[in-house]
This record gives sequence, structure tokens and C-alpha cells, in this order.
Amino acid sequence: MDVSQYLEIFLDESREHLQNLNKQILQLEQEPDNMDVINEIFRAAHSLKGMAGTMGYKRMQTLTHDMENVFSEVRSGNIKIQSNMIDILFQCLDALEGYVANIQESQDEGTNDNEAIIKMLNDCINPSAGGAEAPKAASAEEGKEEAKAEAGAGWAKINLDSTQQKAIAEAAEQGKHVYGIDVKIQESCVLKAARAFLVFKAIEENGEILISEPSAQDIEDEKFDFDFSLVVVSEDSLENTLAAVKSVSEIDSATGKEVTVADFSAEKEEAKEEAKEEAKEETPATTAPAVAAPTAPAAPAASASPAKADNGKKQASKPVVGRTVRVDIEKLDVLMNLVSELIIAKNSLEAAATTSKEGSSDNSAINEQLEYLESITTNLHESVMKVRMVPIESVVSKFPRMVRDLSKKLDKKMELYMTGEDTEMDRTVVDEIGDPLMHLIRNSADHGLESEEIRRQRGKDPVGSIFLDAYQEGNNVVIEVRDDGNGIDVEAVRAKAIERGTITPEQAQTMEDKDIINLLFLPSFSTAKKITDVSGRGVGLDVVRSKIESLSGEVEVKSKLGEGSTWTIRLPLTLAIVQALMVVVGDEKYAISLGSIQTIEDVRTQDIKLVQNKEVINLRGNVIPLVRLSQVLDLENPKEDGESMVVVIVKKGDKYAGLVVDELIGQQEIVIKSMGTYINKNKIISGATILGDGEVALILDANALI
Amino acid sequence: MEALETSATLIQYIIVKMGDEQFGIDISYIDNIVRMQSMTRVPKVADYIKGVINLRGEVIPVVSMRIKIGIDPDEYTNKTRIIIVKAEEYGRIGIIVDEVREVITLNSDDIDRISKSKDDRATYLQGVGKVNDTLVSILDLNALLSTEQA
Repeated sequence: MDVSQYLEIFLDESREHLQNLNKQILQLEQEPDNMDVINEIFRAAHSLKGMAGTMGYKRMQTLTHDMENVFSEVRSGNIKIQSNMIDILFQCLDALEGYVANIQESQDEGTNDNEAIIKMLNDCINPSAGGAEAPKAASAEEGKEEAKAEAGAGWAKINLDSTQQKAIAEAAEQGKHVYGIDVKIQESCVLKAARAFLVFKAIEENGEILISEPSAQDIEDEKFDFDFSLVVVSEDSLENTLAAVKSVSEIDSATGKEVTVADFSAEKEEAKEEAKEEAKEETPATTAPAVAAPTAPAAPAASASPAKADNGKKQASKPVVGRTVRVDIEKLDVLMNLVSELIIAKNSLEAAATTSKEGSSDNSAINEQLEYLESITTNLHESVMKVRMVPIESVVSKFPRMVRDLSKKLDKKMELYMTGEDTEMDRTVVDEIGDPLMHLIRNSADHGLESEEIRRQRGKDPVGSIFLDAYQEGNNVVIEVRDDGNGIDVEAVRAKAIERGTITPEQAQTMEDKDIINLLFLPSFSTAKKITDVSGRGVGLDVVRSKIESLSGEVEVKSKLGEGSTWTIRLPLTLAIVQALMVVVGDEKYAISLGSIQTIEDVRTQDIKLVQNKEVINLRGNVIPLVRLSQVLDLENPKEDGESMVVVIVKKGDKYAGLVVDELIGQQEIVIKSMGTYINKNKIISGATILGDGEVALILDANALI
Repeated sequence: MEALETSATLIQYIIVKMGDEQFGIDISYIDNIVRMQSMTRVPKVADYIKGVINLRGEVIPVVSMRIKIGIDPDEYTNKTRIIIVKAEEYGRIGIIVDEVREVITLNSDDIDRISKSKDDRATYLQGVGKVNDTLVSILDLNALLSTEQA
């Protein structure tokens, strides 16, 4: 299956995880006992492992798996973090970054197994061996690095074709010198192509550039990093040539060596083969050095490891992933703020124009311009909002492959059915939703679905089904992960919770099944009998819940033993803007998110009944409790009940409540603003917004009122 | 003696008036000073939080200094101002004061540290400074904004 379309998101997410790991490990070095940091590292490693596995990058998966193992031990308190471990972890991250870089260049993770690092990681778990082994392994690694560096002269990697080889040979015959030169441009340089051009020009004054790597065209198009390599034929000495190159400003370094055709031995060998079988255009570079090494041991390039030859090829090819600009969501927030301020300013202008109308007669010009301004601000507002909305497809489309691989690994037959991939959500939400969904699907595959045998015994389709459905519901997006597997064994969870001391046997007796199932969301709670690399470490569900909650969403699970379970994630469409109903309570304005509102009713005061001393109304057969907002919000002078009152019916799950308000203003799109951390606000206030006249209105959380 | 002199530093304070008393607030904490404006009450919060205001698109909580330091409740006049301070822990917060008078520079030697007594008000003070024969109580902003009930 082709995974290339998911490559970009994989790369982006991997980098994010790696960056996070870097940060967390740095912090760990400062506070080796901080469990939060350890948990965070563990989760990041876990996610990274899952992602690498999904994409089929085995080496990367192995390395992260071992890293995760170490943290699993640390988490359970079996081993302590030591400074040499931090070093190893950083090496580990570097290696992972190496994989990611390779993947970006060529879609291939490369051939470096990083066995040394894996060994060190394993030694951490068995400290007796670790003390002696770790330094050795480290030095071995260093040695490797050095060897690589020596062999890594850029020009040695240039592939020569036969005419170029001929040209070099001819030049040597004519008594000219042939140099291989590596040029590195300073990383601060802005116009790389221009600098490279000046280098070319400087060299061409006294010689000729036979070949450059990347090609002259690519250099001109700035399709290179900060270094390039040249093979130059010149009558001048090497020092003079290098000096000429260095005289160009913003050149970091220029190194070179007089070369002969033999120095390109790998390619020479290739050329020989080419001569033998002319039909074959090019033999894979990886095979060449193996042949070359014994025949031309003196040539420095021959010592290049297979990996290096690979690299040479990779540098020649263009990166397979196109570059996109990832805009920091905070910058978009700033933009959004500016737009909302602009709208507020426009509204005040409108108000000012209306009031001054009475004084002067000629306002039509101002009004015309105001209308123009309004259409601009509205468009701008919509555009900024749209920038933030992306379909969830980018996240969910990598799951079919994952399920396929899981099916093989777990030896269970299963199929994933997805709907609603085009559902759009705020970028911040989409970015974050990938991990939780991945965990839920793995969970369904590993714990939910039964093996083929059992399914047959139970008279089910031997192929298990996992469903992923996404759809919009009011102001929310609902994502459901459903399976037709075994469902959650409530009794097993109960027993496990008692065994772990999470709850007492007495508590267990009185707890409802629903509450027991919710225990699954606690950290380190896993009912799986054995730890597999699919799931069962108990990191999954608590990550899922904390992530979803951090996005101000909620996750629910419904399960029937033997029939399967359904995980429902409910998330706000966007974190920044919601459609809201503006209401008046007393003399204050409040916003209620339209998503939770069912209907608005005019209720006659005489229809209010008392049930258990609580006010309820009977609405088309449903008994709905009334919530008097004026009381809940501590209003000083609540209005007297008139003959009838306005009741906003809100819904949470399958529960309803009627909110009594004094007046309705209307529907409005509101920008949600944070109130900061200073106000330890009550749960019923979910935030604040700024109205057109600059006034602040509070947003009521209907869910908290039910 | 010499050592003491060299360690002395000059700090600028904004002098605000609350009732008959003058208080100094370290100028480095101050982000902005705005006129009294309409506030939105927030239900179910501590009594000293008077509400939130819109400061150029940002929603900022506003604290009544009078209630916090335990003197008579505010009376808003033409001179009432909201001082927007940047608190390390909580971001920007507004503090209502009766009047903003001037900026003064005090040498840290001119401030007498006061012992934190059981007296409620003293907990919000860093010390007392002397300016032209009048006394200025230097506020300890972190203590003033602390959300723990005194």
C-alpha cells in the first residue's frame, strides 16, 4: 500500500514529537524525579513508535520501542535516571532525527540499525552490565562517526559519467590539475544561489568546472542546502583556487584535494561494470563499494561505507516531500484577534455615525464607506477562520494501513470502515486528534475484537469490524470509534480495580457499570494480560482522555459485553469562534453556545410544576427541570415572574434542562476569549467574548448547568 | 557602611491614592493605566474581583484594591483609574485605585522594611518610604494579588 500521501503528516508529527522529547529530556536532566516529565516522554515515545510502525519504518520503531521500555522501567520505579542515560537518550533522539531526515529525502529510513544505541538502552534496564558496556559502546559510536566524517568528503560522492572521466584523464595528460572541492556557505546567507554563482565565476577565471553536485541548474534554483561539491580542472595551484573561492563573502569553508580518476573509485568500478554490460544504464551504488573496496584500498573514497554511498545518491535526488509553511497557530490567533478588533472598531464607527445623524444632514458618504468596510471585515473574518479549518482526512487517512498491519500482527481478521473524512475542524483540534484516535483504534483491534476462532464460536462474522465515523452535530464534531468485538468486561475491570487498590471492594459493589468503565481512563490501568507492542501498557486511554479534555471536548464509552463497544469523542468545531444565542438575564448579557440548545419555549408561569420541591415543566411528554439563571448567576434583583417566561431548552447527552432567561437578543457569532487564570471561575462560565459595542459578555456552559 | 551604600538601588514607583493614604507600586510591574470603564460582573468569584474589562481585545480581570486591603468599598469618581499590572503568575490584571498621582524615585535605603505583623494590611506591604515628609506605603503586588484568603 502506498503511504506516500501520509508522509508529510508523519514527518511533521515526528518532528513535533522529537522536539517535545528533546525538551522533556532536557527537563528530565534537571529534575530526574519529575514523574510528569517521565510520563510525557513515555507517551511521546509511545506515539512515535506507533506512527513509525504505521508507516512501516521498522528500524525507527525498534529504536523507539526500546526507548519506551527504558521509560516503562523508570516509570515503575525499577531504575533511576542517571546522567549517562540522558546522554544515551539524546543519542537516541539524534538517531531518530537521522531516520526522519532520511525519510524526508528518500521515503526510506536508511540502513543504519543503530544497534549500539539499542544495546545501550537495553543495558540501562540491566544496570549490572550497563556500567561497563555503556562507555565502550559510546566510544565505538564515536569512532564510527569519525570514520564517516573522514570518508564524507562531498566531491568523492559525485558520480562521474564516462565523458567526465575522460575529461579528467585528458586534463591530467595536459598537465592540468584536477581538484575535488567542497564549499560550505554560511547558514545565515540569504542569497545562496548568488554566492554559489560567484564561487563558480571565481573558479572559472583560472579553470573549468567539470561537474558540480548538485547540478548547476539546481544550485541556480537554490535547490541545495548550504554546501555543494565541485570537480575543477585548473592550471592554477590548489591553494590559489581555494583562496579564490574563499574570497567570495559569506563562504564558511572551502576544502579540496587534488584528485585523479581513481579517487572516484566507486564510480570507476561502476563504470567498468557499465562497460561490461552496456545495456544496464546504472548499477545500484550500494553494490559498487563492496566490489570496489578490495580492488582499490588506497583510494580514500573506497572506504566510504555503503551508507555513505547511499547518502551521495540521496543528495542528488530532490526531497520527495514538498515544502509547506506551517504557521504557528498563535500567529493565526493574533490575526484573529486583530480581525475581531477591527470588527469591534467598525461597529463603534457605525454607532457613532447613527448618533451624529441627528446633528448633521450629510451622512450618506460616511454610511457608504461604512458598508464597504463592513463587507471587507466580514470577508476577512471568514478567510481567517477558513485558514484554520482543515478536514480530518489528513489525520484519519493513515488508519487503514495501521489496521491492516495490526490485523497481521495480532493475527485477527479485521476491516476498518470510515465515514465523514471530509468533516472540517479547527486546525488546532485536527492536529491533536490523531494520537487519541490512533489509541482508540489500536485498543479496539487489540482488546475489543476477538480472535477468528472465538468469533466463529460465537456465531459472528469471522472478520471483525472497526468503524470510524465523523460527523458534525451542531457546534460539535462527533467522532465515533466502534467495534463489534467482545465489549468491555465490566467484571474484569472491577476485579482489576480492586486488585490494584484503585477502589475498595465495598466501593466496587455500589459502583455502577458506567462508573467502572470510566476507571479505564485512569493512568496505568490496563486489563490486558500481557504487554504487546500494540497496546496494554495502560498509556492509551488516559492519554486519550487528557488530550480530548485539553481540547475542551469529552469522551464517552458505551459497551455491551459480547457485542462491542463505542467510543464517542465530542469536540468543539473550532476553539475560537462559536455560534451563540445571546440572552439577557437581569441587566446582564450572556452567550449560550448554539450547539447545546434544542428549542426555545414560551412557558406560562402556571404550567410550572413542583416535583420533589424542584421546578419542572412538561414539554411534549418530557419532564424537564427548570434552572433559573437569575438565581444561579447570583443576580441581585431578579425580575418578577410575569405571565409567561422564556425558557431555553438545552441538552447534554440524553438529559435536558430549561434555562429561564429574561429576554432573547438573537444569534451571533462570538469570538471566545480566555479570561486568564486569575479568575477561578465557576464551571458554569466557560469563557468570555467581546460584543460589538466593546462590552464583555460571559459565555454560559450549558453542560455544567444540567 | 560602604557596602550598604553600593547595594542601594533606585526604583521608580507610581503613587496612587486610596482614601487618605498613599501607596507606591513598582513601575516595572505596570503595563498600562486606563480610566474607569464599564465592567462585566463575573458570578461566583471572590468579592474582591469586580469583573472583567475589554482592554483592546483582551479580557482582563479587575480587582478592587479597597476590598482587598480591607477599607471602605470603592466610590467611582472622575479620578478613579484601573492600573493594569503584569503579574508573573496570572498575566495581566487590573487594579482599581482612587487616583493616580505621580511617579517618584526612591532609593532602596529610603524604604523602611516593616515586619509582617498579624495586622491584615501589613501583609500587602513591602515597606514604607518617605517622600517630602509624607509617607508612602510600598505595595507588595504578589501578596496583594494572591488568591489565598487573608
